[in-house]
Parts: sequence; structure tokens; C-alpha cells
Amino acid sequence: MTSLAEKPNYNDDIVKLFTIATVFWGVTGFLVGVFIALQMAFPVLNFGEYLTFGRLRPLHTSAVIFAFGGNALFATSYFAVQRTCRTRLWGDGWSKFTFWGYQFFIVIAALGYVTGVTQGKEYAEPEWYADLWLTIVWVAYLIVFLMTLKNRKEPHIYVANWFFLGFIVTVAVLHLVNNISIPVSLFSTKSYPLWGGVQSAMIQWWYGHNAVGFFLTAGFLGIMYYFVPKRAGRPVYSYRLSILHFWSLIFMYIWAGPHHLHYTALPDWAQTLGMTFSIMLWMPSWGGMINGMMTLSGAWHKLREDPVLKFMIISLAFYGMSTFEGPLMSIKAVNALSHYTDWTIGHVHSGALGWVAFISFGAIYHLVPVLWKRPGLYSLKLVNAHLWIATIGIVLYIAAMWVSGIMEGLMWRSYDALGFLEYSFVETVQAKFIPYLIRAFGGMLFLLGSLIMVYNLIRTVRGDTAPETRPAYLETVHV
Amino acid sequence: MMDWISDNAGMVGLLFFFSVFCGVVFWAFRPSKRDIIEGHKFIPLEGDEQ
Repeated sequence: MTSLAEKPNYNDDIVKLFTIATVFWGVTGFLVGVFIALQMAFPVLNFGEYLTFGRLRPLHTSAVIFAFGGNALFATSYFAVQRTCRTRLWGDGWSKFTFWGYQFFIVIAALGYVTGVTQGKEYAEPEWYADLWLTIVWVAYLIVFLMTLKNRKEPHIYVANWFFLGFIVTVAVLHLVNNISIPVSLFSTKSYPLWGGVQSAMIQWWYGHNAVGFFLTAGFLGIMYYFVPKRAGRPVYSYRLSILHFWSLIFMYIWAGPHHLHYTALPDWAQTLGMTFSIMLWMPSWGGMINGMMTLSGAWHKLREDPVLKFMIISLAFYGMSTFEGPLMSIKAVNALSHYTDWTIGHVHSGALGWVAFISFGAIYHLVPVLWKRPGLYSLKLVNAHLWIATIGIVLYIAAMWVSGIMEGLMWRSYDALGFLEYSFVETVQAKFIPYLIRAFGGMLFLLGSLIMVYNLIRTVRGDTAPETRPAYLETVHV
Repeated sequence: MMDWISDNAGMVGLLFFFSVFCGVVFWAFRPSKRDIIEGHKFIPLEGDEQ
């Protein structure tokens, strides 16, 4: 192990770049999300060809998942792997290439969405040329991460790095298999997938669900296993439980995708397999959540004092909630009601806003003072304001979507005495107007919270201190 | 031998992966290595972050 005298010269410039990109793309993605939520309530907001809901929706999902979430994963994995391996990040040029290469991918993918260039696959919309470019960037990311692990001074590879590596490798496999396609010509943006029919659907949802499982779960669990203990100043509750958590997620998640295709042409056995593995996933998910939360065992008072830690623990509560709801919704009888309704949208956002975004906010609030070498954040009061405004926003959002989703599911399956459908489709759309307004308001609160974060971070980087965090003797001098 | 494995690939795969998983659980939870394995949880707390 390296002693303090031999402290490595960490590469924090690259972490700073990814942190700035995380915040920038996060606010952009949330803003587009609020706009498309308003488009759902007020269709008149679909302006022209380029700003229709159909084109902006993938822009929103890609901006929040791949741009905000992806940059957060790059920043935190590059930061944590250096500290837990006690070595500098390998290949300064390579890591810089991953930054600019990844931003270039985001921009060419986004331009494709608004101009109508898309594969039409959910969460895999970018066309073949963008997919090829992302493959090159991702291989560079894998090489940087592996070489840093190889150069480690710490004999053991800490569990957060297992989650990061599991995320990088699995996302590479998913991306390659799901995006195999043949372009019409080398100069055409259009391509056709190699897979067809139900096989194509199965591969798409094998990819889609594991994008959730490995991009939005395994990677962010890597963040949890480094930043929660670090922030709490206590080791993770049980290291052996973290090992079990890792391997059971890896073994089970990959089989759960078929639950997206219940009551379709997919063979019944495959649907049941997907449902079964989804229910089994409840155990490792809650094991991990308990492991994270119990890290504070014996030091719960820290939650009262530190709003950054509060962000992380509330994110774990949302992780527990959404990983309970997911298996529930994968049960075929429940799915018959929930599928194709707003309940799914509510479920996704309790995970995406509550878990992914909150653990990222917690990590960013922890990272910025360390990276810019400041004694602390500009204002903890503003962190607290962000926390509660965003939490209220999420609760409004998901409650509105539960009501809207269950209502429309029940309306779709409602028959009159003669066996005719009781409601036309447009009546179900009209009935969702109020929940749509509440959802948009919840999204606005979440966006407002993120803008408060931006202000707080800018003031922190500038080295300012809010009046309430200034030492009392300075106030006396001013008086 | 290979024919039998390919004819029963599903069952062979299931047993193989289940055995590997059980091996991982046994490896992680051996009482004799408890202190060594749990000791790794202090890695993020050692040294400063700057």
C-alpha cells in the first residue's frame, strides 16, 4: 500500500471535465423533460417538424441517461478507481479522448433525433455511424479502467470497481449485439437491423432491460459503494454482503428482459422466465439497499447534519422502492394492467430521478469541493433546499403517474353489459389531463432544484462562502 | 460426451452457473476468512482524497 509520503498525483482534470459535463447535460435533459411533459398536457406545444414529442422524447431520455448519467459514471469511476487503487489514472491522452469522444457521440446522436435519423429502438436510437463511434470510445474507456486497475498499489480490488467494471463490460456487449445492422450505403444514415421479428424484439429488450440493470444500476451502485462510506466516514456495513450483492445481480439481471414482452409473440416460457428472474432480483436489490443504508448504523445523527449524505440515503430509499415495484410489475397479472400505461413512466422515474439522479447529486456535491480544493460547499442550506424541492417534485411526479396509469389501465379493460368497450381511447387521454399537469409541475420542481445546485456549485468553485457557513468571528468583524 | 453436453446444454448450463454461484457464496462467507474479507471495506477510508 502507498504511504502518504508516496501519495499519487491523481488526474483530477479529467474528473473535473466530466463533472462539468454531468451538470450541463443534466439541466439540459431535465429541461427537455419538462417541455415534453407540457407537450403531453398541451399538444399545441408541438412546434413544427423538429420539436415534436416524437423527436424530443428520445432527446430527453438520451440526455438524462447517457449524457447526464453517463458523464456522472465517467467522473465518479475515474475518481474512485484512482483513490481505491492508490494510483494515477492510466493514459492521460486516452482518458481525454474518452471525454471528447463521448461528448461528440452525444451531439451526433442528438442531432439525429431532432432531424428524424433513428433506429427506432428505445434507448438505442442512434444510427449505425454513431454506434460505431461509441464502440471506439467505450473500448478506450475499458482500456483506461483496466490499465488503472493493473497499475494499482492496493492489492485488493475494492468492490465499487467490480460494479464499475461489470457496468463497462456488460454495456459493451449489449451495445454490440443490439446494434448489429447493415447500412443502406456508406453515405446513408439509414440502416436495417440484422435481427428480425420476435428475435429482434427479444434482443432489444434484453438490451433495454440490462441498460437499466447495468448502466443505471450496477454503475450507480459503484458510486454508492465508494461515496456513501466516504461521506459517512464509516466503512460499508458488510463487505461480504457487497460481494453477494454483486454476483447475484450479475447472475440474475441478464435474464429479466423478457418481462417487457408479456402477452406478445414471444414464447410463453420465455415470458415466465423473465418474470421469475425479475422477482428473484428483489432479494439482491434489497440486500444492496440495506447494505448501503446500514453503513450509517450507529451514526444516524450524521443524516441530520449533512444534506449531501441525505441525498445518498434518500436515493437508496428510492432504489429500494423502485426495485420492489419493478418485480411487482413483472408479474404477468399485474403487467396486464400496468403495461403500456403511465404506471411504467412513474416507475421509471422513481428509479431515474430518485435513485440515479439523487445518488449522482450526492456524489457531485461531494466531488466539487475536493476537485477544486475548497474547504466545503458554498451553502449547505441550498443543498437542503435542493433536496426537499426535488423530493417533493419526484413524489408529485410518481403519484400522478400511478393514478393516471392505473386509471387508464382500468378504463382500457372496462366493458359494458353488452360486452362493448366502455371508453374510447380518446376518453382515456382526456381523463389524464390533471395528472399530466401535476407531473409537469413535479418536473418543474425537480428542474428548479437542479438550478439551485448549479448556482451553489458555481459559488463553490469561485471559493465563496454563504453567510450561514461563515465563522462567527468574521461576522463580528463586519459589524 | 460432447454430444451429450450439447443435447442437454440447458441443464448443463443451469447446473454449471448455479454451482459457480454457490462457490462464490461459499468463498465469500467462509468463517475462517471473515476478518480478512471484511477488512477490505476500509479501503476507501484510508488516505485523503486530494
